[in-house]
Amino acid sequence: MPDIEETKNTNSIQQIRYVCSIAAMHSASAIPRVIPIVHCGPGCADKQFMNVAFYNGFQGGGYGGGAVVPSTNSRELDVVFGGEGRLRELIKASIKILDTDLFVVLTGCISDLVGDDVGSVVKEFQEQGVPIVYAETGGFKGNNFTGHELVTRAIIDQYVGEYDGPRQQATVNLWSLLPYHNTFWRGDLTEIKRILEGIGLKVNILFGYESKGVSEWKHIPKAQFNLVLSPWLGLQTAEHLESKYEQPYLHVPVIPIGAQETSSFLRKVAAFAGLDHAPVEEFIRQEEETYYHYLESFSDFYAEYWWGLPAKFAVVGDSAYNLALTKFLVNQLGIIPGKQIITENPPEEYRENIREEYRKIAEDVATDVEFEEDSYIIHQKIRQTNFGHKAPIIFGTTWERDLAKELKGAIVEVGFPASYELVLSRSYVGYRGALALLEKIYTTTVSASA
Amino acid sequence: MKINFKTPVVESREQRLGTIISWDGKASDLSKESAYARGSCETTCGEKSRKLCEIEGPFTQGSVCSEQMVECQAGHIRNAVLIQHSPIGCGAGQVIYNSIYRNGLAGRNLPVENQHVICTNLLEEDMVYGGVAKLEQSIRDAWERYHPKAIFIATSCATGIIGDDVDGTASQMETELKIPVIPLHCEGFKSKHWSTGFDATQHGIIRQVVRKNPKKQEDLVNVINLWGSDIFTPMLAELGLRVNYVVDLATVEDLEQLSEAAATVGFCYTLSSYMAAGLEQEFGVPEIKAPQPYGFAGTDAWFRELARVTHREEKAEAYIAKEHARIAPRLTELRTLLKGKKGYVATGSAYAHGLITVLRELGVEVNGSLVFHHDPIYDSQDPRQDSLAHVVDNYGDVSHFTVSNRQQHQFYSLLKRVNPDFILIRHNGLAPLASRMGIPAAPLGDEHHSLGYQGIINLGESILDILAHKKFHQDLASHTKLPYKQWWLDQEDPFILAKEENPLYTEGKKHA
Repeated sequence: MPDIEETKNTNSIQQIRYVCSIAAMHSASAIPRVIPIVHCGPGCADKQFMNVAFYNGFQGGGYGGGAVVPSTNSRELDVVFGGEGRLRELIKASIKILDTDLFVVLTGCISDLVGDDVGSVVKEFQEQGVPIVYAETGGFKGNNFTGHELVTRAIIDQYVGEYDGPRQQATVNLWSLLPYHNTFWRGDLTEIKRILEGIGLKVNILFGYESKGVSEWKHIPKAQFNLVLSPWLGLQTAEHLESKYEQPYLHVPVIPIGAQETSSFLRKVAAFAGLDHAPVEEFIRQEEETYYHYLESFSDFYAEYWWGLPAKFAVVGDSAYNLALTKFLVNQLGIIPGKQIITENPPEEYRENIREEYRKIAEDVATDVEFEEDSYIIHQKIRQTNFGHKAPIIFGTTWERDLAKELKGAIVEVGFPASYELVLSRSYVGYRGALALLEKIYTTTVSASA
Repeated sequence: MKINFKTPVVESREQRLGTIISWDGKASDLSKESAYARGSCETTCGEKSRKLCEIEGPFTQGSVCSEQMVECQAGHIRNAVLIQHSPIGCGAGQVIYNSIYRNGLAGRNLPVENQHVICTNLLEEDMVYGGVAKLEQSIRDAWERYHPKAIFIATSCATGIIGDDVDGTASQMETELKIPVIPLHCEGFKSKHWSTGFDATQHGIIRQVVRKNPKKQEDLVNVINLWGSDIFTPMLAELGLRVNYVVDLATVEDLEQLSEAAATVGFCYTLSSYMAAGLEQEFGVPEIKAPQPYGFAGTDAWFRELARVTHREEKAEAYIAKEHARIAPRLTELRTLLKGKKGYVATGSAYAHGLITVLRELGVEVNGSLVFHHDPIYDSQDPRQDSLAHVVDNYGDVSHFTVSNRQQHQFYSLLKRVNPDFILIRHNGLAPLASRMGIPAAPLGDEHHSLGYQGIINLGESILDILAHKKFHQDLASHTKLPYKQWWLDQEDPFILAKEENPLYTEGKKHA
């Protein structure tokens, strides 16, 4: 195996960690009663579904995803003569057959290469009052993170529309984890909504089971502000909303895990929203009381467990969970960061801010972060990391299963693809999610001990 | 008709075999209508030769593409690398096929590892300037990282449209690296059915991997399969034969010796048709032309034919008699336990034919079945391989036999009209709907599960297991809402939109 010095980044990506823009069909189907329509080759919808929503926590397709998704399944004829007619026919039939509140048309490589005028086709239906929007998401144009913002923006511009009415104080739109790609997004959004409501906010959560669907999206412009809770995803949307509706936004890059980070997050949001101090502090007090009761019990294990616990960790994953986990592991558990690699190819303009978050990960701990997308190189870098006298614990994906064995360490699959985890409502964020995360980390360790 | 191995591009199934993806009627009628392909049309059809009538409607749901089948074959060769020459979205498939690869390896007691698949990650500028430089780079990366025995290249819709010279790059790199570098043309839009992807992989293997001056191994049998458990080794050992499993989980060396075997068999003619016929045509390796090895009639005939071709007739009868006797007691019990149960098969084409016979051996009623495509004939063009006629002739008709390429919206009324107690399934996407209708599914991940004599027992046991799941599915069915409008759920004909006077168009006309 060549040295890492000899292995240069090329265009090659093996063991993928993100997919293409059309996978943002999941951002559509993540909204209750919204169904995507894809205008692409016959395999695109299945590929995205089976890999992003099935072999990634076995989350399932939900109401309008999976094998429900209408697809033009483009053929040679559509390549040669264009596929607009075929798309028109499919939309017409979809309206007749499917019970939905909104269709989101997404295009693939074929349509974008042959230059179908999808906007005109969709407009014909919009003019008839059909709730339908479109986004051009050809696979070569970007990944599913940027595709998510395209879909979000399409719904805002083409469905939510103009608004210049009054604002509802203490109401927030949340822009956070990428639905389905983040294996734990459903449980996490539930917990984030719970704690924000706990301090007195009304929350438009927008995606997942706690969302009220398109009616909630219609309320987006009425909210007091937007909250971007992620290192960068959602910022474009928030900036767009700021210019479109003059709606301010708060950006919190660290998704909070554990009491310290969560309480500090809630105080930050409360200050921005101008909420009453007392009820916020009362909610935090109650939550912390419960959290630290459990932590006291956990301390028996953490202090006394005979057979050794990991001292250093590596995180391989997209920036949202990577940063959130690193903060929690360093600050609340006192585990030492070994290697952090961010894998979703964040746009260049956000990278310096992300690096800065790692430099100030704790008052007394600074660490570095790297951006890599090709698992071959990622694994080389982890192999060459000095984890000290003990095997590390790796927070990663299925791609790291063998690597963890090779290093005689432990693996916790926390991100795409997590093909050996079943995830329903489990959350790893906030107060409650942190406890589930502790259970997962140390069940993994204890379970492998004998 | 000879298979053309001179060109690097495989001829699609619809061109070679007249494959269709949409049809509805009685199995016996489909079998009769397919007779044109067997060259016996004058006697059975009473009309001049014609193609199968296919019903195409305006509503289609996401299907599966040829490139995915290339991934699940060429991507599963243990000491090769597959390069996906595509934007990153095609690379999504690495996730599922890696999981299948790992579990398949574990099932065969082989060392578990991640698969070796690299995506060239084409971006917008590559659509303008072409992507061959990136392809060349990825081939070099594959070489440096793994020193593989062969490198396969899967094309994509995007590279097909921009017209990258994949063959030229492959050929240049093959000369340089001195290993086979094999382009597999599998653009999704080029064939209406994904099984063309199997053929694309097998085409490339026969052209560029298989040994051209074979030294015959008279006890070696090629088994064209996927990742199924190793049931062929003990079965073929009864005849003193060794197994060469291809394509999945094979090594390049296993592929090289394909031309040296005494015979080729498979678990499903949909999968094995092209390679088996190709090996016979190019290297004289006989393909076993018999019913598929499912149920007593099929397995008996298949085993006898294999014994005949490999000159081991005397050993066959003893094995057949022994196995019949061995499974008889439990089969009797299973038939009692399954009495009155109705099953529905929804799998790949030839495989479904096999499963229907097993269900009927078990005494399970089968009034309906769904296949994802239909090949009127296989590449051998030999009537002894007519797997659908084998079902109809030996086990009776299937009154509701449907061809539909994984169209979930049609599956609702297909199930409603026969109301089965359970379904057998392989591809994803249909079982979730059945589940929401209260019907449990047996997902057959191990494709060998129902094969041969033991397979009859295996399937019976699995059905008993999944019938118990009914509690879960019925509870769910009473708490779920399907994403289809009541109007659609009330339709009795799942192909109504494809008919001339379908409501979509007539209402459209009224409004116009």
